[in-house]
Amino acid sequence: MVILPATTGQMGVLPGHVPTIAELKPGVLSVHEGGQVKSQYFVSSGFAFVHANSVTDVVAIEAVPLDRFDPEEVKKGLTDCTQKLNAATTDLERAQAQIGIEVHSALASALGV
Amino acid sequence: MASGSARKAGMRLSSLLSGSLASGIKSQTAAASPWSSSTGAAGELGPFGSRFASSQAVRNRMKSVKSIQKITKAMKMVAASKLRGVVSKTEKSRGLWQPFIALLGDHPGVDAKKVSILTVSTDRGLCGGINSTAVKYSKALLKLSSGPDKEVSYIIVGDKARAILQRDSKQSIALTVTETQKISISFTQASMIVDEIVKDLDFDVVRVMYNKFNSVVQFLPTVTTILSPETLIRESESGKLGDLDAYEVEGAEMKSEVLQNLSEFQFASVLYNAFLENACSEQGARMSAMDSSTRNATEMLDKLTLSYNRSRQATITTELIEIISGAAALEASN
Repeated sequence: MVILPATTGQMGVLPGHVPTIAELKPGVLSVHEGGQVKSQYFVSSGFAFVHANSVTDVVAIEAVPLDRFDPEEVKKGLTDCTQKLNAATTDLERAQAQIGIEVHSALASALGV
Repeated sequence: MASGSARKAGMRLSSLLSGSLASGIKSQTAAASPWSSSTGAAGELGPFGSRFASSQAVRNRMKSVKSIQKITKAMKMVAASKLRGVVSKTEKSRGLWQPFIALLGDHPGVDAKKVSILTVSTDRGLCGGINSTAVKYSKALLKLSSGPDKEVSYIIVGDKARAILQRDSKQSIALTVTETQKISISFTQASMIVDEIVKDLDFDVVRVMYNKFNSVVQFLPTVTTILSPETLIRESESGKLGDLDAYEVEGAEMKSEVLQNLSEFQFASVLYNAFLENACSEQGARMSAMDSSTRNATEMLDKLTLSYNRSRQATITTELIEIISGAAALEASN
């Protein structure tokens, strides 16, 4: 089973799932085999296609195994982005800061910090 | 008369001793023979008095051919090492667009009003025929796609294609992108370019034309078709797109929004892959072009060396004969 971080929430995909195009938001993609978590990746965003033949394609801009992240850097990044949001003056800066906060908080909750 | 022949003998002898003197004599004899710089005469001595000019010229030619040989050999090695770096990146990037084909299928024959042809070419030359191939196919694609109420345009990536296409199709060029390899090729760069294209150009179908890297000696001109969101919806509704409708859409509120994201993401992935494949093809083509250039230079050098040695030996022989016959004449007159 694969759990995908779709924009509408966590989505679990089992064999025989109805064909779906799912838009992904930054989050953790975990692959479960026999009840055990086999591998986890942090996906930046992208799409997942579940085909009728039980093949799921995940196309992401960046996907990194979770163990490559440094928790301290993630915490620092989150505080930086929150500061930037408070100091933002234009819509563009605000949007950029909000994206940063979303990604960093997803990372932080995935790493458990 | 005897002094004249002795003077001439002295001139030739001194040129045998020092090359620098030969240049002085060359300037004297160059005026006498306009042919002095010709080096195509292999083994010939040319008109009387100009033989040293030709040997000097052959020597200069040999020096330049030798340096060309070294340069092209170095360029081949540089291209080989660059190729090694890009090939693994390219093979990994092929997986990026494959899911889109699995979902949407490949529709090169789609009928559309506004067609754009994106030609991927190199910025630098000396890479064999890949740029002219790409331009040839792009021109054919443009012709195929044009019709009574159709709008066709070029999007050009790379200086070489721009130079060729600007000459005769200047009015059809919509956008030009150059210096893509200055900072290394990345997905971010490809998506920025896609942003610009989508912002400036209104298209129904984009045909991306590039050289796919098959092996170091084989490059396949390839066309990838990308449909705009509206075209996607139109084709899926008319049932030609397989069963896109069978897919549930999880995500944005409207299916058209998701399809727009999908189309742009596909465009960026295909463009990223096309850049990488073209870069590989460029390095591979440059390797083989520089290799054949080195081989040609080596051949030319061999031929020049032979003719130079032959003419040098003939000169020496002729002088010896003249000195000896001059000495014999002097002795006989005594």
